[in-house]
Amino acid sequence: MSTLIPIGPFHPVLEEPEYISLYVDGETVEDADIDLGRIHRGIELLAQEKTYDQDTFLVERICGICSASHSWAACLAMEDIVDVVIPDRARYLRTIVHELERLHSHMLWVGLAGHILGYWTVFMWGWKYREPVLDCLEAITGNRNNYAWYCPGGVRRDVADEIWPGVLKAMDEFAVQTDMLLHAILDDPVILGRLKGVGILTTEDAIAYGTLGPTARGSGVPIDVRRDEPYGAYSEVDWDVMVQDGCDCLAVAAVRLLEMLESVKIIKQCIEKLPAGPIATEVREIPRGEGIGHIEAPRGETFHFIRSNGTNMPERHKMRAPTFNNIPSFRPRVKGESISDAVLIFAVIDPCYSCTERLAVLGPDGRPYMKGKDLIALSHAKTEELRKNS
Amino acid sequence: MSKQVLDGLKAKFGDRVDIFERSERRAYVTVSNDDWIPVTRHMYEEAKGRLATATGSDRSTGVELLYHFAFDRDGTVVNIRTTLPKPFPKIESLTTYYPAADFIEREIFDFLGVEFTGHHDPRKILSSHDRPADFHAMRRDE
Repeated sequence: MSTLIPIGPFHPVLEEPEYISLYVDGETVEDADIDLGRIHRGIELLAQEKTYDQDTFLVERICGICSASHSWAACLAMEDIVDVVIPDRARYLRTIVHELERLHSHMLWVGLAGHILGYWTVFMWGWKYREPVLDCLEAITGNRNNYAWYCPGGVRRDVADEIWPGVLKAMDEFAVQTDMLLHAILDDPVILGRLKGVGILTTEDAIAYGTLGPTARGSGVPIDVRRDEPYGAYSEVDWDVMVQDGCDCLAVAAVRLLEMLESVKIIKQCIEKLPAGPIATEVREIPRGEGIGHIEAPRGETFHFIRSNGTNMPERHKMRAPTFNNIPSFRPRVKGESISDAVLIFAVIDPCYSCTERLAVLGPDGRPYMKGKDLIALSHAKTEELRKNS
Repeated sequence: MSKQVLDGLKAKFGDRVDIFERSERRAYVTVSNDDWIPVTRHMYEEAKGRLATATGSDRSTGVELLYHFAFDRDGTVVNIRTTLPKPFPKIESLTTYYPAADFIEREIFDFLGVEFTGHHDPRKILSSHDRPADFHAMRRDE
C-alpha cells in the first residue's frame, strides 16, 4: 500500500510555492502528482488590456530570472506580424543581454543545486560568481533584472563603448571560475554519487513529454532554438550546442555547466564584432495578423503567440515558459527513486524561481567589512585550528 | 522550408486541410473537428513535429484551438487550427497518443471550458480550487 508524502506548497528547498504529492512504498517513490497554480497571476488576460509597448514590460514580470527571454520572444512575435528588419547593432545588443541572462540563470541553478545537495561550498561559489554577471547587466542595461531592454524593432537604449572592456574582463574571469567549478563538481565523488544514474529520463520520454532546453539536451535530444531557427546574432558567431546522453541528473548539470562556457564565447564574439549604427527600426503600428516568437531561454524554449486585430492592443497573447513543458517529465524521472532524491530530481529541471536579493556587510567606516580574500584566510585559519585540536 | 511537411499533409489529407503559408518559417493549417486527431497525429508521429504549446481563444465563431508544432530540424512552426462550437466545446484529447499535450489541454479546459474526451486527468490546473466549476476566465460570453 502506498503512503502519501507531501512536499510543499511551502518547503525549505522550493523557493516558490508548488505542491508535490509523492506516493511512496517504504522509501521508494511509486508515483507523483504536481499541483500548480499557487502563483497564477492572470498575465495572459492582462496582456490583452495593455498596448504592445506596455506588453514588453509586462511579460518581463513573468519571471525575474528570464525576464529578457520573455520580452524578446514577445518582440519577435510582434515583428513576425510586421515583417520588420532589425538593425545589426540591435541584433548584437539583444544577443549579449540574453546570453548574460543565461549565465546568471545557470549559475543561480548551480548554487541552488549545491544548496539542495547540502554542498554549501558550491552554493557560495555559484552565487558569488553570479554577482559580476549581474553587475555587467546593470552596467549595460541599468538594471540587474527586468532590463526594459527589448522593444519591437530593436532595443531601447544604446551602450557607450567604455562599458565593453569591463564586461570582457568579467567574462574572462567568469570563464576561469566556471571551468574550476566544472571540474570541482564533475570530479567530486560525493556529487557524482548523488547525481549519476539518478532521475533517468530516457530520450524517448524526453521527446514524448515535449521537454525543452537543458532538460532535453541532457537526455540526448539535440534541440536548441538558437541554432534551429537562428535569431539575433547566433548564426554569425561560433558556438556549439551542448548535448549529453547520460539521461540522468548529472547529464543535465553537465549541459548547464558546459553551456555557460559557450555563452561566454558568444558574448565575447558579439562584443568584438558589435557593429555601429542605429539601435532600432521604428514600428509605427501592428497590422492585423498572427505572429509567433520563440527563443531559447536558459531553461528551454520560451514561446509567444500574438494575434493582432489592428488595434494597439493584442487580441490574444499566449505565452508559455519552458518550465510548463518540463515539469511533467518529473513523473517518469522520479518513479522508482528514493524519497531523498525526489527534491533534487524536481530541481534538476530548474523550476523557475525569481528571487533577487543582495547583501553587503559594511564596517563602521562605511567600507565592506570583509572581502573575499579575508574570508578565505579566515576559513583556512579555522580549518588549521580544527586540525590541531582533532 | 516547411514545404516537406505541408506537402505531406496535402498528399495525405487533400482538400480536407486548408493551408496558409504566412512566410518561409510559418504556416497555418485549418482542419475540421473530425480531422483533428488524424492530422495532429500525423504531425507528431509521421512528420516528427514537437508540440511546442497550444493556444485556445474565444472568438466570435466559437472556441478556437491552435496547436503549435515546431519542426526543429527545419526551424519552422506549423500551426493546426480548428474551431469548436459554443456553448459546450468538446474535442478528442491528444494525450491518448502524445503525453506532451497533458498540461496544456488541462489549461485550455481550465480557462475556456473545452472538454477533452479521453484525457486521463481532466482537472483544472492553474485557477484556484475554490473557483466554481463552470467559471472559465478567458470565455467572453460569461
